[in-house]
Amino acid sequence: MAADGAPGLRRVGVSTALFALLPLAVLALVATRMAGAPTVSFSMPWVPQLGVDLAFRLDGLATLMLALVGGIGLGVFVYAGGYFAGDLRRTRLLVLLSLFLVAMVGCVTADNLLLLFLFWELTSLLSFQLVGFHREQASARGAARQALLVTGGGGLCLLVGVLLLGRMAGTYSMSTIIERGPGLLDHPLLPFALGAVFIGCATKSAQFPFHFWLPNAMSAPTPVSAYLHSATMVKLGIYLLARLDPAFGDWPGWELTLVPLGSLTATWAMVLALRERDLKRILAWSTVGSLGTLVLLIGLPGDGAAVAVACFLLAHALYKAPLFFVAGNVDHGTGTRVIDRLGMLRRQMPFTALAAALAGVSMAGLPLSFGFLAKAAMKSAKLEAETHAILLAVAQSSVFVGAVGVAVAAVAAVRIFWRHPGVNETPVAHEVGPAMFVPPVLIAGFGMLCGVWPQLVEPLLTAAAVDMTPGPHGPVVQLGIAWSAVWATIAVTLIAGIAVFANWDRLHALLGRVTLLERLDLARGFESLLKALPEGAARLTRRLQHGRLPGYFALLFGAAVIALGALGVLAGLPSLPPWETPDLVTVGAALTLCTGAVLACFVGERLPLLLASGLVGYGSALLFLFAGAPDLAFTQFAVETVFVIVAASLLLKLRRLHSAVGLPGRRLRPVALLLALGFGTLMATLLLAVNAVPLDPALADWFNAHALADAHGLNVVNVIIVDFRGLDTLGEISVVIFSLLAAWPLLAALRTCVRAGSPAVAAAQPSARATDRSGGGAPR
Amino acid sequence: MNARRSVMFTSFVRGLYLPVLVASLWILFRGHNAPGGGFIGGLVALVASVIWALAFGTEAAIRRMPFGQPVRCALCGVLLSLASGVPALLRGEAFLTHAWFELPLGFAMLPVSTVMAFDAGVYLCVWGALGGYALALIGIDEAEASA
Repeated sequence: MAADGAPGLRRVGVSTALFALLPLAVLALVATRMAGAPTVSFSMPWVPQLGVDLAFRLDGLATLMLALVGGIGLGVFVYAGGYFAGDLRRTRLLVLLSLFLVAMVGCVTADNLLLLFLFWELTSLLSFQLVGFHREQASARGAARQALLVTGGGGLCLLVGVLLLGRMAGTYSMSTIIERGPGLLDHPLLPFALGAVFIGCATKSAQFPFHFWLPNAMSAPTPVSAYLHSATMVKLGIYLLARLDPAFGDWPGWELTLVPLGSLTATWAMVLALRERDLKRILAWSTVGSLGTLVLLIGLPGDGAAVAVACFLLAHALYKAPLFFVAGNVDHGTGTRVIDRLGMLRRQMPFTALAAALAGVSMAGLPLSFGFLAKAAMKSAKLEAETHAILLAVAQSSVFVGAVGVAVAAVAAVRIFWRHPGVNETPVAHEVGPAMFVPPVLIAGFGMLCGVWPQLVEPLLTAAAVDMTPGPHGPVVQLGIAWSAVWATIAVTLIAGIAVFANWDRLHALLGRVTLLERLDLARGFESLLKALPEGAARLTRRLQHGRLPGYFALLFGAAVIALGALGVLAGLPSLPPWETPDLVTVGAALTLCTGAVLACFVGERLPLLLASGLVGYGSALLFLFAGAPDLAFTQFAVETVFVIVAASLLLKLRRLHSAVGLPGRRLRPVALLLALGFGTLMATLLLAVNAVPLDPALADWFNAHALADAHGLNVVNVIIVDFRGLDTLGEISVVIFSLLAAWPLLAALRTCVRAGSPAVAAAQPSARATDRSGGGAPR
Repeated sequence: MNARRSVMFTSFVRGLYLPVLVASLWILFRGHNAPGGGFIGGLVALVASVIWALAFGTEAAIRRMPFGQPVRCALCGVLLSLASGVPALLRGEAFLTHAWFELPLGFAMLPVSTVMAFDAGVYLCVWGALGGYALALIGIDEAEASA
């Protein structure tokens, strides 16, 4: 940026401003609806056969989400312009962010479940691109893959849930499903549908046990972290749950699942936050904690919970996004985010310190901030919720969560900007450019403004809360009057939080000694699972595709014997046809066949073995000839002849190259004998059983009648091949030529290998190597 | 490599080659009314190519195949079979509906049909494709790669 000089700076501003028009437009749309405008909907068939409509609906909840997407988005776009100033990748980032914004807008306004799924997956894909933005870093690529696998896999679960819900309700229209929802509470499929939806939402919103991807996704650039991983995308799971709350909130499992899930996630995330030293990762864990709190609130019954969800959604975005910006600024200005090395930064970075202070006040829930109002709403929601005592007790874990939240706010706002870091020296620091401190100051300042003047956002929150509540009359949001009822709990949280902050280093050291936490590291488990999968697959492939023909045959025939044998045992012995005395020719053919087979078992050389197997072929050809299938016999003779000639020539040539591998020792192998006898018996029984059933002559009669009349041919078999089923034959000869084309490289490789290993290095068994390389290489 | 050719074998093959090919054609064309047809005919023709390869080397056998190359021979066969279905399309009938004509020879009428072209395609394809396999295997010890 500095090298570019002033014109470059202006260019930076212009292109960023053009991109920023997008979130500005979203904000403008929100502004027109601030005064509680009626719900707008739009629908157009897209794939009517599948129930997919381009249906959009803009109600209170969607407007609140749009406000987050547009408002935080505007800050993020401006910030990104400064963060990547003079960097060629800035345009790529802004394009990706714009696409993401569109996907988010689509997701929160979609009124068709399948359409919502589409945008949902789109956000996952764009998140993959954005987390892995620094694609030259292996850690970023790993984090991106992890995020994609977790959220994408959860997306597939969501699809299952969506399809089940759509099947149950008979439509994919979300507004209709929400209307019919209470009637579906007794449906036997509902637990499965909602379970799948829960998994989808839990992966997206980083709930336990899928929470681990979110902190790892912090390898993304700061604007991305602030936008996707605190303010918008991770709220999608919350959004969908809140959207479905009016329909299925009365289902018993709703509360029983979401309240413990949210509490566990929040508590666990806060414990893990205490183990971190990296400011951005601390903030990430506290984001997971906030998401857990939101899930818990959605699980709670009562109107107050809806109000609390709406308030906390807004409040969290208004303080967490600025704090991420602060973390990015600190990184930019000092080159580190490790809190031990930071202190007294307020002197060098006054504006960033201001933003951190404003956001920290709100996050800690100090009076006169919007975070305070949100906390008050949460407390009153828990107070008024009429639910099981146990669930309420679980929900009280939020005192711990709140305390650590206060401590995290203090770390971000006080520790690194005000306190000396003790023995560590303060790094060289400088303040960042205005594009990077104005957005966090403004967003955090807006959070404070809402705290003093809540009427500003009251209509927005009321409309959203109404949409999250079942029943015709929604709650009325009255911010700012809950003070008297909840001040005691808030004071407790604050004091506990200050205590945690004061003992942060001690707690950190304490938790660092608990090795159990390391063993429970799900991210590492997930990664080792990913690593084990291809290894296991490779091992399995090596076991199954070993390249030894006898092994393949044993598997093939063994499987056939077992499967067909089991079938035979289940079905009982088939009835056998009556005995017929065979004529002399048949007996002769059968004898030839048997002689060949028995000889093949006892010869020890390859060439006689080939001739013996040829005898089997000629014997069966004889059998065909006298059983009324001259065409088949003819073919069999020709194939057998060609095969024997070619194979014999090949064997002789290999022997001349001294590379023919001898047959394995002629010892009796009981398994092979058993397999051969079993397969033979099975096939014989099968043939007899087939022959016992009288043949339906309808098809044969038809072909006999039509062969000459329609196709001018006396040979019915040939007429079928070339005329009645000509298309099949065409397909078959195409397969023949394709098989040759596929085998061509293998044949060429074989020739090369044989030539490379010819007489000079004769003893080294090159043919074995050749088959390994050509045949064994194919499966890979 | 194939220096050790026996004179008896080569002269035997020289005499056998043409009769085998003629027989294969005869099998091809009688197939419509008697046992035979393109597939068997192709196999018999393949026998001719294989014995020629054994006697004079695969290079020589390949040169004697239609179109001078197994793959090309097989490809032309498939294309011929494919083309035999096109006249039906032009007449507005279903693909591969075969048509029959009477060809006046002066002394008799010879029935001809697109079905013969189809069967000839099968013949060429079987000869070429299986020949490609067989000749490549027979020729593994020969110095020149013959594609």
